Amino acid sequence: MDLNKKRRRIALGCEGSANKLGIGIILHEGTSLETSTSTVLSNIRHTFVSPPGTGFLPKDTARHHRSFFVRVALQALSAANITIPEIDCICYTKGPGMGAPLTSVAIAARTLSLLWNKPLVGVNHCVGHIEMGRAITGASHPVVLYVSGGNTQVIAYAEQRYRIFGEALDIAVGNCLDRFARTLEISNDPAPGYNIEQLAKQGGRVLLDLPYAVKGMDCSFSGILTRADELAAHMKNGGKGPDGEPFTPADLCFSLQETIFAMLVEITERAMAHVGSSQVLIVGGVGCNERLQEMMGAMAAERGGSVYATDERFCIDNGIMIAHAGLLAFETGFKTPIEESTCTQRFRTDEVLVKWRK
Amino acid sequence: MATDSPLTYPCSLTLDVPFPDARLANVALQALRVDKELSALVQRELSAVDSTLKVQYKATTNRMLRVAVNSFFDSLALVLEVMEQLDVDAIEARKTQEKTG
Repeated sequence: MDLNKKRRRIALGCEGSANKLGIGIILHEGTSLETSTSTVLSNIRHTFVSPPGTGFLPKDTARHHRSFFVRVALQALSAANITIPEIDCICYTKGPGMGAPLTSVAIAARTLSLLWNKPLVGVNHCVGHIEMGRAITGASHPVVLYVSGGNTQVIAYAEQRYRIFGEALDIAVGNCLDRFARTLEISNDPAPGYNIEQLAKQGGRVLLDLPYAVKGMDCSFSGILTRADELAAHMKNGGKGPDGEPFTPADLCFSLQETIFAMLVEITERAMAHVGSSQVLIVGGVGCNERLQEMMGAMAAERGGSVYATDERFCIDNGIMIAHAGLLAFETGFKTPIEESTCTQRFRTDEVLVKWRK
Repeated sequence: MATDSPLTYPCSLTLDVPFPDARLANVALQALRVDKELSALVQRELSAVDSTLKVQYKATTNRMLRVAVNSFFDSLALVLEVMEQLDVDAIEARKTQEKTG
């Protein structure tokens, strides 16, 4: 059966590479690649939030995903209001991400695939973010900045691959933010980065000196985190800032954001110059940050371009992006045999052959 | 360097997990056997005989055995819950209940 002759194609996607468990159902309609439309039928997510001062560990995160999978799946099916025969494939995150959480979701996805007799499609998490960003914003040829707790990459599409132009050399920018939130014991609910963003709005009286670590097309965050932790300890001991006045957690959050976001803007701009693009698409959880969007927007405007970003439904890890990217691959004939439906913590974005684009 | 002596696996556990039918036992088998054991100190064999999932674990120490089997039970519990709540007939029953309820 030629799938593309079938006017309505539906995929269920399951995501659990970090602390968010997401299940989404997507509909593709239309018979040609150029004119097909995508509709979100449902997008349900449940986040595992750990106490302030802690991060989420693989074993606990996997336990959370196992506990909530059935509940979230039932909600997704109910909200989409479709029947099982209408579903064409089950998509799941193959990687990259945390081992135990990834595998817990894969086991459930395999079970559904076998019970419902539907093919499985393994999806690269990063490609999921990119394809969802493209679909929602309609950006045609952007440089993509993918920034989250686990990933920091500058990506541009060329000849059926999402090619990595620059990336973080050590830890992801979101990891730097999440770990600094632990240092300050900021709440992880709804997300540590979100709470840092709100606290940063109260800062700005002083810009504290943090190392600026751009290295060519790449950047590095572990040194900045170390210095930020040192400053936080200094502050707790009653230390003063560079102007001889005490400084606050809000000042620290402000300074951290200004520094790391300026670095991201620089490496993105470098890729844009390289590739000759004026559009930027920001995806990934850190992409929700309005200050980052503002700074990126200023740079893009100077180049006669613009920034595209999605809201928290799509920039934070979710199941619908896995369903969408998976269905795109499935429509080109891609399937993952069940014996090969493993997960992998390392899965480079450019390993995926993007057959659904020219 | 002298060749290392092969690992022995003195600690073992056998489980026979009953399922309502052979179809479900096979679904569990296929879902659970894909992922390799994380440690070389643990060996696992899975098979389905009629409606029973047969599980054979061997490990170098009791601690490794306990850790591996506990992890297997967590995954098995997930498979069972998905079967109970999301199998085709369960979804149908839920729909009928919603219409009449």
